[in-house]
Formats: sequence, C-alpha cells, structure tokens
Amino acid sequence: MTLLAAGGINDSILVVVLASAVAYGTPLLYAALGELLAERSGVLNLGVEGMMLVGAVMGFWAVQRTDSLLLAIVVAAIAGGAMALIHAFLVVTLRANQIVSGLALTIFAGAAGLSSYLGNDLNVAGQPAKHSFGPFLPHSWQNAKVIGPILLAHSELVFASWVCVALVAVYLGRTRLGLNLRAVGESPAAADAMGINVVGYRYAHTIVGGAFAGVGGATFTLSITPQWVDGITGGAGWIAIALVIFAFWRPTLCLVGAYFFGAFSGIPFTFQARGILSGVPPELFQSLPYVMTVIVLVLVSSAGARRRLGAPAALGTPYVREER
Amino acid sequence: MIRIERRLAQPRWLTVAVPLGSLVVAFGVMTLVLLATGHAPGHTFSRLIDTGFGSKAALNETLISATPLLFTGLCAAVAFRMQLFNIGGEGQLYAGAILGAGAGIALGNHTGWLSVPAMVVAGAVGGAALALVPGILRAFFSTNEIITSLMLNYVGALVVNYLIFDSESYWRDTSSATAKVFPQGKNLPDAASWPVAHSAGLYVPFGLLLGVVLAAVIWLLYTRTRFGFEVQVIGDSPRAATYAGMRTRRKILAVMALSGAIAGIGGASQDGDFRHTLDPRGLTAAGYGYAGIVIAALARYNPFAVCLISFLLGGLQNAGFALQGADFPSGLVGVMQGVILFCVLGGEVLTRYRVRFSRTARRSEATA
Amino acid sequence: MTAAVELRDITKRFPGVVANDGVHFEAAEGEVHALLGENGAGKSTLSNILTGLYRPDAGEILLSGKPVSFASPREALEAGIGMVHQHFRLVPPFTVAENVILGDHRGEGKKFLVHPRRIERRVAELGERYRIAVDPRARIWQLSIGEQQRVEILKALYREARILILDEPTAVLTPQEAESLFETLRVMADEGRTIIFISHKLHEVKAVSDRVTVLRDGKTIDTVPTATATPRSLAALMVGREVSLSARVERALEVGEPVLEVSSLWAQGDRGGDALRGIDLTLHAGEILAIAGVAGNGQRELAETITGMRTPTRGEITLGGQRLRGGDAREAIRAGVAHVPEDRLHTGVAPSLSISSNVVLKSYRAGRVTRGPLLRLRAIRKHAAELITRYDVRGGGPDLPARQLSGGNLQKVVLAREFEGSPRVLVVASPTRGLDVAAIETVHRYLRQAAEGYVGVLLISEDLDEILALADRVAVMYEGAIVGERDAESATVEELGLLMAGATE
Repeated sequence: MTLLAAGGINDSILVVVLASAVAYGTPLLYAALGELLAERSGVLNLGVEGMMLVGAVMGFWAVQRTDSLLLAIVVAAIAGGAMALIHAFLVVTLRANQIVSGLALTIFAGAAGLSSYLGNDLNVAGQPAKHSFGPFLPHSWQNAKVIGPILLAHSELVFASWVCVALVAVYLGRTRLGLNLRAVGESPAAADAMGINVVGYRYAHTIVGGAFAGVGGATFTLSITPQWVDGITGGAGWIAIALVIFAFWRPTLCLVGAYFFGAFSGIPFTFQARGILSGVPPELFQSLPYVMTVIVLVLVSSAGARRRLGAPAALGTPYVREER
Repeated sequence: MIRIERRLAQPRWLTVAVPLGSLVVAFGVMTLVLLATGHAPGHTFSRLIDTGFGSKAALNETLISATPLLFTGLCAAVAFRMQLFNIGGEGQLYAGAILGAGAGIALGNHTGWLSVPAMVVAGAVGGAALALVPGILRAFFSTNEIITSLMLNYVGALVVNYLIFDSESYWRDTSSATAKVFPQGKNLPDAASWPVAHSAGLYVPFGLLLGVVLAAVIWLLYTRTRFGFEVQVIGDSPRAATYAGMRTRRKILAVMALSGAIAGIGGASQDGDFRHTLDPRGLTAAGYGYAGIVIAALARYNPFAVCLISFLLGGLQNAGFALQGADFPSGLVGVMQGVILFCVLGGEVLTRYRVRFSRTARRSEATA
Repeated sequence: MTAAVELRDITKRFPGVVANDGVHFEAAEGEVHALLGENGAGKSTLSNILTGLYRPDAGEILLSGKPVSFASPREALEAGIGMVHQHFRLVPPFTVAENVILGDHRGEGKKFLVHPRRIERRVAELGERYRIAVDPRARIWQLSIGEQQRVEILKALYREARILILDEPTAVLTPQEAESLFETLRVMADEGRTIIFISHKLHEVKAVSDRVTVLRDGKTIDTVPTATATPRSLAALMVGREVSLSARVERALEVGEPVLEVSSLWAQGDRGGDALRGIDLTLHAGEILAIAGVAGNGQRELAETITGMRTPTRGEITLGGQRLRGGDAREAIRAGVAHVPEDRLHTGVAPSLSISSNVVLKSYRAGRVTRGPLLRLRAIRKHAAELITRYDVRGGGPDLPARQLSGGNLQKVVLAREFEGSPRVLVVASPTRGLDVAAIETVHRYLRQAAEGYVGVLLISEDLDEILALADRVAVMYEGAIVGERDAESATVEELGLLMAGATE
C-alpha cells in the first residue's frame, strides 16, 4: 500500500482523504460556527444535533416540494432557528438550566423526536432528493493537480461555508457589534452597564446559531447523501460542540477542526473502497471521530484549565440585572 | 410592567403545583401539535393511555418498558445531583449488557441461580468501568464530562455491533447454519434467566424490584450519610467543598462509578430479564440512556420520583412502540418527552422567581 | 439655582427589604457632593437608580430641573451620567480602549468597523489631562486595581459625563493614590461637572467634599456643608447614636509561643506567575497579626496557601511545631487552622444548603454527629439551633438556606462554625466587608475574644482603620512579598500607605 497510487496524484489516498475531509467537514463547520456565535454570547446550546436534524428534514422536504435548492436552504435555516428559539426563551427569559434545556431540545427534535415525526408525516423517507448540491466548477478545474479535488471539486455549500468563516471572523474581530457580543459573553454586567442589550444579543445569536445548525444538517440531505434517513447526522451535532472548544472559540480554527474531524469520518469509506486494512473491522474506523474528539478535548482542556483560554467567562450562566 | 423577582422562600405547595401545572401545559401544547399535524388529539391520547395502562397485559408491558428507564433514570439522577452531567448512560448500559451477558453465558450452566447475582455484578462493573473514563478525565484533566461521556455512547454502540455482527466473538451464536449467515447473539442458559415475581396477573421483573431497592438505597445514601453530604456540598458549591477539605476528585470518581454501575445493571437486566441474549439492534434502537436523562430532570433527581416517572414514561414508550404504524405518528414519544421537559423547565422559573405586575414609577405632576 | 441633579422621594424595594425609602437628594454643578452612610444604608441602590440599572418603585429624577426616566443604563449614559462602580464593570480580556468604547454610540462608536488607533489616542489624551494615564493597549487583567479604576473614570470622561458618580472608590487604593484621586475630582468639579462621591469613610468625606448627605436605613437623614461638619457629628448622623470612633482597645497583651511559622513561601497565582514570593512570617498565640495591602498583592493567595486551599511551590508552613504538607485543606483543618474566607457566600458556605448543614461543613465526620456512615441529623440540627442562639444569628432557624442570611448574620454563622473547632490559628480575610456598623463591632469583638483565648489571629484586611484598631502587629504585602512590619500602636497611616504602594524601606 502506498500513499501515491499509480493512477495519478489525484487518486492517491492522501488527496482523496483530504477531499472527503472537506466534504464531510462542511456540516460540522456550519454547526460549529453557529454554536460559536451562541456561546460567544454566553449561551450554551447542546441541542445542536436536534437542530441539525430538523434542518435536514425540513430542507429536504422543501426541495422536494419546491424544486428550489435556495429555498430549501432558507427553510432549513428557519427550521433550525425556530428550534433554537425554544432554547433561547427557556434559558434567557425563563433562566432555566442551559445544559438540561439543550438536552431537552436534542430529545425533542432529535432522532426519535420531531425530526422523525416530520420525516414521517411529510413522507420524505426513501426517496432521493430531486435536486442536490454538487461540484459545479468546470471539469478542468476540478481535475487540477491536488488542489482540484481538495479545494475546487465541491458544491456551493462548501464555498459558502468558507465565506461564512470569513464573515464571522471579521464580525467578531473588527466590528462594533462583534465587540459588543464578546462583551456580553465575557462580562454581561459590564455590557449592560454600558448600555448594551444583553437579552437581545443572546436571543439573536442563539437563533442565528440554530439557523447555521439547520443549514449544516441540510448539507447531509441536500449534498452528502441526498436523502432523508432518520438520524442521518449520526452525532455530528455533538462533534460540532466539541469542535467549538477545540477551536478556542475562534472561527478560523473551526475550519481547521471541522476538516480534521471530517477526515476521520471519510476514512472508513475510502479505506473500505480501496480494500485497505480490510481485516480491520469497520467499527474501528467508524469510532475514530468520536475517540479523536475525546482525545482532543483532553489535550485542550488540561492546558486551558489553567488559563481559561478563550471560553467566554459568562458561558452557561443567566444574566439578571436586578439580582442582589 | 411585568417584573420577575427572585423569591425569598419557596412555599411547599409550589414544589408540587408547578410540575403538575407544567404537565397540564405540556398536554395543551401536545394537543396543539397533534391538531396542527392532522392527528386527533383525544383519540391519540386515549389510545396511548389504553395501550400503556389500560389492562393487566398493558401494565405488564409497561413494567417491562419501565425497568431499563428506572436504571438509566437513577444513573442520571445520581450524577446530575452533583452537577456531574453524565450523558453516557446509554453506553454504560451497553457495557453492562456486554459483561452481564458474558457472565450469564459463562456461568449459567455451571453455577445455576448464582449466575444471576453474577450478572448483576458483571453489569455493574461494566457500566462503572466505562463511566470512569469521563470521570477520570474530569477529575484529573478538567475535561468536560458531557462530551466525553456522550462520545463513548457512540463507541459503545459500535462495540456491541462489532461483537455480534462483525466478529466471531464469545457472544455470538455460531451453533446453527443460519446463525452463521444471519448474525445473532448466543442465547443465555436458562439458569441465567432472571426470576419474575408473579401476583394477581401482574408480572414484576426481578430487575424492576432490584431497581426500586436501589432507589431506596440511593435515597438513604444521599440524604443520610456523610457521602451524601459531601455530594450535596460539592454539587452546590465546589469552592466551599474545597474550602471544607472535601476530597472532590475522589467523589467525582465515586459518583461516576456509581452512576455507571447503575446503568450497567440496567444493561444486565436487559439480558437477564427480557432479551436473554446480547441484542445490539434492540439496545441501540431503544435509547434508554437518553430517556433516563429526561426522567431524572423531571424527577428533580429524587430517586423515588424517578421510580414513579419511569413507570409513567415506560407506559408512554410502551404505547408508542405498540402503536407504531401507518396511522400513528412515529417520533411522537420523543416529541412528547421534549414538550413535557420544556414545560417543566419553563415552569421551574415560577418556583425560583415571582412574576409581579406593577405600574411605572413616575408620578405625573405639574413642574415645580 | 436649579440643581444639576435631584432625586425626589425615591423608593425602591427588593424582596424582604426596602432599600430606599422616600429618599431626597440634590447636587449642584461644580460641586463634589458626598453621599455618606454605613453599609446597607441604600447608597449603592440610589446610584444604581440614577444610572438606569434599577427602576424606582416611586419618586422622580430631575436633571437640571427637568424630569427624566431611564429605562436602561444606555439612557442614563446618554443623559450624561457616568459611574465608577465599586465592582468594576470592565471586560477583563479586552484592552483599555475596547472597554472605553464599548456600547458608545457617538463618534468612533458609530462606525461599523472599529479603528483602535483613534480611540487609543483619545484615551491617552484624556489620561494626560486629568492625570490618570493608562496604556490604552493594555488588557484589563494586566492592570492593577488602581489602574482599572482609572479606566472606569476614563470611560465616563470619554462619554463627556456631566455627572460622575463614584461608589466607594478608595476601597482599592493606597492612601497616596486616594489623594491623587481627590485632586482629579477637584479638577473635574472645577470644570463644572457634578461629582457624587459615595462612601462610608468619614475622613475621606471631610477631605474631598463640599456638602454631605447622610443616608441611614434607606432614608435621607440630613444634608450638611462639609466645612461645618465634624467626623463625630457625621458619625452620629450615620449611625443614629453616639459612636466612639476607631477606638483602639488596649489589651493586656501576653503573647505566647509561635503558633504559625511561614518561611520562604512561594505560590503561583491563578494566571500563572508567582502570587507569593518568599513570604516569611511568625504568628504567636494570642496575637493579632494584620496583613495590610491593596487588594491583588497576594493576600488572597496567602490565605489560601496557609489554609491548604492552594499548593505552595516552595517554602514551609509550620503549625505548632508540626510541618504541614500544604495544598490540603483537610490537613490544615485537622492541624487547627480556622479560616473565615473573603468570599463568605460562595466559599465560606454552601449557599443553598441550610444553616444546619453549613455548621457541620467541616466537622461532619466527627463522632459527635455521626453514627457509623450515617449522619445524626437531629443532633446536627440541635447543635445549629444552639449556635444560632449563642451567636445571635437573626433571619431564620436552622433550616434556613444560608444564602438568605444578611451579610452580618452569615458572617456570624461562619465565625460560629470556625470557633467551634477550637482552632489554634484563625485566618480571617476582609471579615467586615459590606457589614453595617453593629455587625462590624460584633465581629471585632469576636476576634478580640479569640486572641484572648490564645488563638493566633491572622487578619487580612484592606481597611487600615480596622487594622489599626485591632492589630498588635502589622505586616504590609506588596506584589507577593512582605515589605515591612510595624507595631500597630506606633504605625501611622502615611507610613503604611507608602509601604502599600511599594515604597521600599
């Protein structure tokens, strides 16, 4: 087994794995960006898996009904945002425990809940998507050496995700609103005293976070396996949550992390298709993303535990202005 | 103007009135959801109640459904009480099922009924061992236990699948020709079948009785012992616990191990009480672990309330499963659980805060 | 002449307490007006109302004669009211410039994108002019507390506040820094701004203000010109009775053997770096040794290290001849170290648990309250009830959650528990912070009693008055080391202040 196969460098294991890393990492990236925004405002939303699934099923339904991929993405975003609104209401206005509320959202919307309910009621199972996102650049570009498969042979969703990373990075680092957001997440009392609407920022960013998660979920049903299956995200939402920590709450690191984990999702299929390591049970490969998440988390936490690198200080706690 | 003020004291009646009120609201919301999606609420609810509790047969099925939920509910309650969010009950149950089935297969034919307690112990060990992974990571590396315990759920499911579907393991039935083609688990010897208490048409599985006893023990442990006192303090204020010289790390390990052990016994119960084999498909499809978290949250982590609520939710699960079909919405159970949980969470605000309506502060008067 | 700001008949209630009860207050342009009252009198509440953080239940606010109402802090800021809070409203990871511009809508703030350079320049300008210079690029967590306070002031100046409120500003300053602050305030007042200076310290009020308004129990007692008031008269108004001021009680001092010896103690702080650099001190039985210093110079870490909550990196702690391993609170407790921590609510007690539970927080393993692994709940409850009576804890019975106690009563519970353990050493940190005069007197009494009982008392405090009234010896901490030791009887505020500011001997 060699890394460079005879059929040209674009067929080599390395290139194929990296290409699939980008493809599989995209839903993770969307969901992680969304969760990053919510957490920067101080709201921990563990319902990502549920929001992704609802976005996935609603996006799929929309494309089957309207033949419009654009509309499908919009619907997915709205669906995810609607789920997030429930969580926002519970934790920001009613000051419920953020962890339990997020878990409740996952159970409510997740694989044995609303997404499944909708999947059934809307009769969307067992059929391929009428339209799906796929690579669209000219073939000559897609076949370019190395960068072709890895960077160019992707759908609009992938390219859009890069734009989103850039936008979020600029938003956080360079704009007034981004500054306010970071203040809300670090020190809501200071932000409030300076006249920033803490409640408004928390609602807005939690809902937007849900919208991103919805789009991330739709990436599965509109691009990766253009079909709806109950529980299609397979835990991606949870990996996205870990990803935000791994990325120290920075958008650019989210990109790196998403592709890192995406690679581990892609490896089982690639290796199996190539007959590599065929004696090894598939479950071993399939468990890699999850095991890697744990390992990475341990590495990040023990260093960060001393210095609290990056976690918004007010993450997880409700803000009450008149509390004495 | 509506204002929310923190309450000073919590009147006793509130702790009962609020959850009940939340349930009422939850049913109201569910009614709306059903109506909006074209299902008749009254019909759906009555079918649910009937299939769940309407007859001795239904009750027996419900007790079967409730048993695993009781274990995973206690598993979550035990940990959450100390603000340790062990989401890994699912995986810990699988681990218990694996070791429990192993013990049953190995000992059933040799030691007779002793294999039952052996299975219980094996299940506990399996669950505890798995739970100690996030426990150790949390205690010594400050790693967030939510994500780590959760990831192990997926790994656990993969291991269970591997043992039966992709390997020639000890647990796999290789006796018949069909078994070689269609993978399934070895059947446990008869001696490893857990006893059933039988009275007036009701069949109470041994696992359920064991679970109720465990609930009582846990209640005693948490409210009357030094161990429980430390758990209370650490859960309320880790800094105060450190200040008082409590061994927080050791407690984290102990509580995680206890929590995992309980889920593990639940897994062994699945083998011994009901399935009589290691059944990956059945176990992973059921989602007992996650349901347990809902139960623990609804029960406010009180072990006796966990017993009651797992019975009720067991009825719901049972009915949901039995009624599955073209004319009954699937995923309804998850939706209902979610709605109930939302309403209870939302209702909790009323126990901690009071809603006041007051007029604005300004007095309008002529300028001085 | 219309007052720059006037508060008429302001009432504000919280669950269980009326913080402001028909308060009247007015201040003129160009005036430094002090708002005096003991802890709990309602001063902070009043200022929070004025800055839009709270809404009053009744009453009016008038600015230059015109009634106004603030729905949020933003509106108060826009009306020209700025505040320097006692607990700074700063975002620690942000730079000075970012904190100053936060939430600002005018000028630089209006822009969508943030241009740090321009803000930094303006901040530097303001700092120069009012002699409160800070590096605009520094991050808040890197600054000393005194510097952080300057940032708070700069925030208000940047927004061109016409009315500036300062809440207990000198609590975190050395005496010299306080002087410097007073000069800055005078400059601002001379420009026509209105300065409202909230304090409970009489000599400061005398030093800086033109007029004084005294609050007590949420009501306005009187407004007097500072020139004609004396500390005695002000104290009487503040407390409602004749008070003996900063009485230093002379004790028949019979100091015993050394009961705590610390040598070359080093420890790390929370953010890396050394919080303790080679501390040496000796505490004798029956003596009150005070550690003075501005907050943030390692006092908290010293208390934590001696009581086992923090592991030392170098050095030795010896208690009654027995060497402690360190880093183990249980070891310290067993050796006889009692600790009344700075943060009584979140460290000293488990806030949601009952008084009974908190009374046995450290002693729950003792034979007296256990039967095997089980706790004797009734015995614990009875014991708690006894302590409540003996220490006069008001507010509820043994089942009351600790968080519902007032500051003074909570401190009594903590002290009761710590004394029960028959300690040899008592480490107390800022024991009277936030307490009213009666509670302060009670706590001081208990500390003296402990010393009379041959306990060695280590008193860590930022309040020099308290230190000089109670202590036998004073050691000053600066940047993690002890920079000087004095006999309390002969020490002067000036001397100590210089040491606190790092002036070397």
